[in-house]
Amino acid sequence: MIEIKNLKKVYNGITVVNIPALQIQKGESVGLVGNNGAGKTTLFRMILDLIRPQAGEVLSKGQVVAGGEAWKQYTAAYLDEGFLIDYLTPEEYLYFIGGLHQQSKAQVDEEMNALSDFFNGEIIKKGKYIRDLSKGNQCKVGVASCLLQNPELLMLDEPFANIDPSTQFRLKNILKDQNKNKGVTTIVSSHDLNHVTDVCDRILLMEKGVVIKDIATSSSTLAELEEYFGVGQTSGTVNYTAPGIDQEENH
Amino acid sequence: MILTFFNHELKAFWRSKNTGKSIAVKVFLGLMMLYLLACVLFLSFVLDKLLGELFPKDDLVVAFCGILLVYFLYDMVMRLQLQELPTLKVQPYLHLPVKRNTIISYLALTALFSFFNLWPIVLFTPFIVKIILPENGAAVASAIWLSIVGISVFNNYLALYIKRRANLNGWIFLAVGGLLSLIVCGDYIWHLYSIQKASNLVFGNLLKTPVLVMVPLLMAIAMFYINFFYLKDNLYLEELSSKKAEDRKSSTEIPLLGRFGHIGDLVANEIKLILRNKRPRSALVMGLFFLFYGLIFYTQKVYGEGMKVFVGMFMTGFFIISYGQFMYSWQAAHFDGILVSKVKFRDFLRAKYLLFAMVSTVAFVLTTPYAYFGWRTVMIHFVMYLWNIGINTTIVLWFANFNQKRIDLTKGASFNWEGVGASQLLLSFPLLICPYLIYLPFRYLLHSSDWGFGAMAIIAVVGIATRDFWIKQLEKDFYNKRYKIAEGFRNK
Repeated sequence: MIEIKNLKKVYNGITVVNIPALQIQKGESVGLVGNNGAGKTTLFRMILDLIRPQAGEVLSKGQVVAGGEAWKQYTAAYLDEGFLIDYLTPEEYLYFIGGLHQQSKAQVDEEMNALSDFFNGEIIKKGKYIRDLSKGNQCKVGVASCLLQNPELLMLDEPFANIDPSTQFRLKNILKDQNKNKGVTTIVSSHDLNHVTDVCDRILLMEKGVVIKDIATSSSTLAELEEYFGVGQTSGTVNYTAPGIDQEENH
Repeated sequence: MILTFFNHELKAFWRSKNTGKSIAVKVFLGLMMLYLLACVLFLSFVLDKLLGELFPKDDLVVAFCGILLVYFLYDMVMRLQLQELPTLKVQPYLHLPVKRNTIISYLALTALFSFFNLWPIVLFTPFIVKIILPENGAAVASAIWLSIVGISVFNNYLALYIKRRANLNGWIFLAVGGLLSLIVCGDYIWHLYSIQKASNLVFGNLLKTPVLVMVPLLMAIAMFYINFFYLKDNLYLEELSSKKAEDRKSSTEIPLLGRFGHIGDLVANEIKLILRNKRPRSALVMGLFFLFYGLIFYTQKVYGEGMKVFVGMFMTGFFIISYGQFMYSWQAAHFDGILVSKVKFRDFLRAKYLLFAMVSTVAFVLTTPYAYFGWRTVMIHFVMYLWNIGINTTIVLWFANFNQKRIDLTKGASFNWEGVGASQLLLSFPLLICPYLIYLPFRYLLHSSDWGFGAMAIIAVVGIATRDFWIKQLEKDFYNKRYKIAEGFRNK
């Protein structure tokens, strides 16, 4: 699905992403973890052709992403509020996105009904513009717009960061459903190791722009990750918390 | 503590992205300020001569007293429109162990640092020193001076008080606006009373009994405390913030645009952008005001047909220029979303063309009453309308590719320099020069304005007919620059 070759991005002399080779197969569910500044969002943006790499390229289904339009047909992503048109109401925005994919309003309504649990009654018909929603509710709109596009590739940057526990739980189920039942390739970044090991079959651990670990999720993965993030602490202690958890990473 | 606040305020000013971003804008702003100050200073030093000419029958001091209240009335109108509330900045201090009184005194005191409080002092002091001091003595002169200071402080806090009340209830602003216009109409249109005479009465008495200066001073102090206690009672974020109490927002549709498919959807979104955000909305409203631009020029015989080219272009195309000069910046907040979405950039551009053509058409239809000045005027407007949608739209969109500055849509338009850069300045040259490059040679070399207009119309129609070609060029150019543009828009 995605192939990365010699991808490199440098800001002010600091290498923020440096990935010599990375392959993501169709139907994989990939979790991206790493502390702030590890280069997760930059990598996402390069996969989406939003920033220009200094070197290397990203291929999606064998086609170069940069300058291409074909990948937009089957890729849906939500990285931050910059993806939402914030002066529209959620309905208007979702109808707009649905319209881009040749869906009628009735079809969009149907899809939204299916998501009513996920929305928890806070999105549709609330009489608010997207800009007046809380960050968590904006995230729900973003995720919904992604699902609406029936993507083959779904990319979410820290979707769990601002949403409430019930929604986190529901989102995990949605992601599993998309991946297992619909064969959607998912790439999700998160600071919450529990979520990411739960949802993803493959974990990429980034540090200073480099993928330092590429592991298939197993029962020991969580402990392994906790050991990495729990710098200077012995892993496995009872009241241990991962210092990597940052509720709000702003870019 | 207040000093610390002040220190933070200074830092906020110098470190704000708006001030730091572009030195050119800063220099330009500084020069504008200096120019304005020089104008006011000049006015203040010739005020005595000016008054002598305007009111040859009256005594200078009487004339001076007469204009004071009139000045303060307009001062009030201007303040209500332009003066900013020094509010939101207190948010980071509200939860800290800082006394509420300290915060409020700071808010109330910084409100004094407004140019509106400087103007009356600069404007009237020289006159007081030059004329009143030698004529009426130091006591009267200082009484007049103090009362001017007192009234401007009173105006200052009254304006802020009204604005704060209006934040909670929009009707108050309308009511005050209505009241002010009634006061102005009562004098100048219905002649029920004369503000000038009232002013004379007030300041005339002040000349006789300088002790009365206590009245404006007490009024100023009273207004300060009304404002102070109002703030103290309402020191909560939702009431301080400039957001009005939100009413229910509904989804709207623009049925006519359904015919244009995807492109129509994009235009509908953009129309919502314009109507639902402060700054683009004022660009549209300004465009409406510019429809009266012709009345200034057409009523005077001095301006020939050459002027109509210019005026016609502005009237039918003001929106293209005022809104288009910040093109793509309006959508900066969701530009990443646009780039990733299925929208082809070609369609995105087509939507811009359609939007501009629609607004220009409406503007042209609205200018048809200028037929009063002859059908030829309407013909010229029509040529300029074609020119706007055929040529100017492409010019504006071409410059949009050079624009990488983010605009925060929610902020108002007045004195908002966000998003202003060199590209806006450069843009004005081709817009102003191109029509004359075609028109003037025909007029002066071939002595035929008609051929000039004909040539412009033909070029404009060719521009419209070859639109797809230009869209392709614009798209190509955009693809070379898109990373830079998107990155610029991401920088908050």
